[in-house]
Order: sequence, then structure tokens, then C-alpha cells
Amino acid sequence: MKLINIIRRNKHPYIFILPFFILFLVFKLYPLLWTIRISFTEWNGMNEPISVGFQNYKDLFNDYMFWDAVYNTIIYWLVGGFFIIAIAMLLSLLLNYKKLKGLKFFKVVTFLPNISAAIAMGLIFGMLFDQNLGIINELLEIFGINRINWLTSTKFSKIPVLTLYIWRFVPWFALVILSGLLKIPIEYYEAAKIDGANKIQQFIKITLPNISRILFFCFIIVTVNSWKMFNESYILKGPGTSNISLFQYLYQSAFTTFKMGYASAIGVVLIIILAIASAIQFIIRKRNAEI
Amino acid sequence: MNYKKVNYNSVLAHFLIIIFTFISLFPIVWMFIIALKSPGESISGFSSIWISNPTFRNFVNIFDKIPIWSSMFNSFFTTLMGLITTLFFCSLAGYGFAKYKFPGRDFLFYFVIATLLIPPEVGAIPLFIIMRKLNLINSLWSVIIPKAATAIGIFYMRQYIIDVPEEILESARIDGASEFGIYYKLILPIIKPALATWALLVVIARWNSFFWPLIFLRKTAKHTLMVSISLLPVSEGLSTPWTVIMAGTTFAIVPVIVVFLLLQKYQKAGMTTGSVKG
Repeated sequence: MKLINIIRRNKHPYIFILPFFILFLVFKLYPLLWTIRISFTEWNGMNEPISVGFQNYKDLFNDYMFWDAVYNTIIYWLVGGFFIIAIAMLLSLLLNYKKLKGLKFFKVVTFLPNISAAIAMGLIFGMLFDQNLGIINELLEIFGINRINWLTSTKFSKIPVLTLYIWRFVPWFALVILSGLLKIPIEYYEAAKIDGANKIQQFIKITLPNISRILFFCFIIVTVNSWKMFNESYILKGPGTSNISLFQYLYQSAFTTFKMGYASAIGVVLIIILAIASAIQFIIRKRNAEI
Repeated sequence: MNYKKVNYNSVLAHFLIIIFTFISLFPIVWMFIIALKSPGESISGFSSIWISNPTFRNFVNIFDKIPIWSSMFNSFFTTLMGLITTLFFCSLAGYGFAKYKFPGRDFLFYFVIATLLIPPEVGAIPLFIIMRKLNLINSLWSVIIPKAATAIGIFYMRQYIIDVPEEILESARIDGASEFGIYYKLILPIIKPALATWALLVVIARWNSFFWPLIFLRKTAKHTLMVSISLLPVSEGLSTPWTVIMAGTTFAIVPVIVVFLLLQKYQKAGMTTGSVKG
């Protein structure tokens, strides 16, 4: 009775926030729990699921395609993440450089890669990296390097995916880092100048320590983005499992071979990895009082 | 002789930013060039950079390969409906959290933020089953409804609405305005800049989204533009129709660039442009 009274008295705000909670329950929480349940069954999505215990997880462990996907994803995460953050750092420093002419223009133009659809850009990069037509190979030939079959070799097929991934995400991270750079008081630099510190010393002693938290935040976001990568590796598909991402392998298992139980087991592995990364991010953000 | 001192840092910075600009723009500009090529012209390597006979033929030819009208419509529809629903439900919930005191408010708000921990993608399989049960597979609403109210949107709107002075809400209440009326007639006009910023982010995300349309919209007539163009490379057997593909990607990329450039100015408008006057 008391609860009903509380709700009745505050009905407006409760009604205003209700849609979110309904959508959350139906389209997020329930599917999440259901994924865990399906992962213990064998199911093609149509017939009755058959309970198989931990069999899917055992199969995963012995599946070289799964390990290929894990390996590729780790490469996308670490190599991609490193280059994204390093290059974004450089770009943000440039965009924070007050003497730069046409700063506004550069800010807008260098952001365009991030708003361009990954699928469309993937097709364009596919042509740039094409063995015969591609401009990349022609460029390499100038330096005396033989044409490389980027997209049809198991050895190189991760490189176009990485390039696209880095190209699209540098601007976003540069913007995030820039927001941190703008918060550093200018007096710090003036004091350093008086002490005779050069640009590099200023960068190491002032800039880096002041944006270390933002950089860590970037690292967590890169982690989450990389583990759920799909578009880039889907559109620039290489031979076999040479550049498949883990999430793409989930998609393939579920929607082309209809092994729903097996795919759900991959989903649970992803849930665990992403939950750890997100939890760390959540704690950091809370500590920084950004919420 | 009086030499002006050369600032090497400045020269280096300009040099580097020009390289960044070149790398950012090159793939996009190059796409336009290839899309404008006539059949006989070279599309390989450096020789592809010059166009001698620009033609719009590829933009016409693409209509034979993919149902571009319906794809465009589907993309516009899902983006627009996604935008309207998100703006409405996020700002409404943001208003609820920002301007009312009710039991459990802080807990519920933290709960909303905490839901960000769960990426919806991991539940893709059950979500597909749910959509099938709701009879929404091959319905454009399947990609609109789940994202009608998002945690980030609510968080963002709340931060903005919290700064709206209490007094103007109180005076509206005294004048007999309903609670929803206050939201609709008072809050919405004030938070226009925040809505514009959020709108920009939503439009880009919805237009570019690929994964959900790929699994929910399986009929050709229901494909969005991204799904349609992703099928282009295999549409012609062995030889890849590059010029036509580039025409297709042009259709996919240009609308967001236009929206981005247009809203760029609007974004600058701050809280000050609202109707808040103490």
C-alpha cells in the first residue's frame, strides 16, 4: 500500500523515466541472461534446444577458429589501440597549438573520418589496398617493394582492417584528449618556460601527467571498441579466419551456420571480457567525478 | 640584413597538420574521383587520380545493382524515427531525473549509468529471437525501438536540464501548467542546443549503423543503405565493379558529411541562447 502511495504521489517522474527501464529489461537484460542459458545448449534457433552442459565451452577451447579470432582481436586491440592513442595524441597536440592558422578548418576536416560509415570506407579501403589496382601497392613500388596481396593473403589481411580502424578512430580520441589538454592551466607552461624547459621537457613533465587519466580512459574505450569490432573486419574480409574478429565469429556461428548455443558461448566469453573492461572504466569515471 | 626568426615549431606543426588533413581527406576525395570515371578510363594506381571525362553514369548504373530508392528510404526512415524517439524519450527521462525529487531517484540514475556496462551486442542471438516473436524481423522498427531511450542520452540531457532555474518551472506551475506541459512548452525550447548536439551524434550513429540492420532486416526491400552497399562487391561475379561501388559509397557518406557541416555551427550555440532570464 505504501509503495503504491509513493508511486501515485510521484507518478510524473516515474512515468517520464519508465520507457528506458522497459526497453532495458526487454532488449538488454533479458537477452543477456538468455545468452548465458543458450550457451549451455545445442540449438539451431528453430527446434527445441538440447541441454549439453559445458560442451560448447569445451568445444570452444579446442576450436582453432575460435583461437584465431581471439588472436586477431588481441592484435586489433593492442596494435590498433596503441596507434590510435599515439596518433590521436599527436593530432590533439596540433589542434591545441594556438599559433596554427586555420585551426577551426583543420578541426572540422580531420574529424571527417570518424563520421564516415565504416562499411563505406571499408569498400574504399578495399580498393586502395587492392593488389593490382590499389594505390598503396603503387606507392610501395616507388620504394622498390613488390606488390603485396593485402586482402588475399593470410599474412597481411589484418593490415587493411587495422588501417581502417585506426583511420576512423583517431579523430574521436583526439577530441577526447584535446578536452583534457584544454583543462591544463596555461600558467604551468609559463612557469616551465621561465625555468628554461624546452617543448619536449614540457610535454613530459606537464602535459603527460595532466592527461594520464584521460589516456587511461581512452585505453579502456579502445579495449571495449576492439573486442566488439565487427564492421571493419566484416567488410575487409580476408581468406579463412585470417582476420576475423571474435564478435564476427559469433555472428558467423549464429547467423550463417546456426549454431546458436556455440555462438552464445562466444557471447559469454565476450561478456566477461567487456564487463571487466567496462567495470574498470566505470570505477575510473566515478573517481574522476565525471558522473 | 634583417631576417625574421623562423619558428621551427610552427613550421613543423603546419606541416604535420597538412599531412593529417591529406590522410583524412584522401580516401573520401578519391572515392568521388573514381565514382565520376567513365568506363574506359584508368582506375588503377596513380593514373586514376586524373579524370578526363567525368560522368554521372555510375550513379545511374547503381540503380540496376541495388534497390537504391528503397535503401535510401529505409536509411532515412530509421535515422529520422530513431532521432525523434531518442530525443523525446531521453529528454523526458533526463527532465524526470533532473527536476523531480522522488524516492529512489539517485539509485535509479546510477542504475541507468551502470547499464552502460552491458554492450547490447552480446545479446544479439536472443534479441533476434525476441524480434522474431514480436514479429519485427524485416520491420524497420526493429532497429528503432531498442535504441529509443539510451543511457548516454538520458545522462547528457539530465546534465543540461539540471541548470535550468527552478523558479521558471515554479512560476509555470502557479500559472496552472501541467507537468508534461512544462516539459513540452518550457524545457524543450530551452534545451534546443543540447538537443542539436545530441541529434548530430544520433544521426551519424543511426545512419552508419550496420550490425543491427544486417541481422534484423533480411529482405532486400528492407535493407538499409549500408547493408545494400555491403553487398555490392559480390553483385557481379568475378570482376569487381569498382566505379559503381564508389558511387554507392558516395550515397552513403555524403548525407552525414552535409549534416555534420550544417550542425557544426549550431553546436556552438550554448546555454546562453536559451530563454533563461532569471
